Amino acid sequence: MNQLILKTKNYTLLFLTLLALNSCKVTFVPSYDAKISEQIDETTKSVDLFYLNMLENTSEKNDGRAFDKFSERYVELEVELNSLLNKNKVKPLNKSSTRICEITLQLWQKYKGIHKKDDKLTNGEIKYNRKIFEDLFYAMQVAEKGKKLAENPPQ
Amino acid sequence: MKLDIDEILADMLSAIKGTVTENWKEVKSTANQFLQNKKERLELLAELRINNDLTQEKFESYLEDEKLVLEAELHAIAIISKAIAQKATNAAIAVLEKAIKTIISSVV
Repeated sequence: MNQLILKTKNYTLLFLTLLALNSCKVTFVPSYDAKISEQIDETTKSVDLFYLNMLENTSEKNDGRAFDKFSERYVELEVELNSLLNKNKVKPLNKSSTRICEITLQLWQKYKGIHKKDDKLTNGEIKYNRKIFEDLFYAMQVAEKGKKLAENPPQ
Repeated sequence: MKLDIDEILADMLSAIKGTVTENWKEVKSTANQFLQNKKERLELLAELRINNDLTQEKFESYLEDEKLVLEAELHAIAIISKAIAQKATNAAIAVLEKAIKTIISSVV
């Protein structure tokens, strides 16, 4: 009789462990968001176009790169960066992606401020700004796509 | 049916190892790409300074910004590492879950 009780207890314990495990999946990163990934792609292209246009189609001569000629586009692109930041910020466990967006926005505002203060931008500055944002958006995209690695739960 | 703890632990360990090895290439190629990007930025920065396309003040300011870019890149790698850890942990839990299910189904 005692043996039967012990056996029943063991199986109950196993059953309860199984029940607990069924609902036990750890989560360290939020799930991959295809819409955010797409928005990163679009913003990358827009920022690239902004700097390439400035480099190829304008020059420092005759105030060709005066800040007011670009201020509207600066604002539009800052809105995109803010949107990316806010979409990342509201997701739980998303501190790293949020920080990447904060850094990108911080440097965008810094370089916009320099352009505004100097009221011009040299070819060198444009080339470096373009490169730095290209690399920051790459990091942002790597972070988003990296979240895919957590998916495909084991069979 | 006997619960073979050693066998379950070995299976869990191999599930973890499999997941990490499978994704190691991802971490390595990303880290290499970040290094390559940094190299290109620093080369561009040096070239711009040598050609006087940048003032010393702006050159130093850009070098300071490199710290922020590095921070962003490290955050991206942190996400990949966490995602791999998540997948590995869940793979190990799945092995344990499967072992217990097998035992229960054999006695019920």
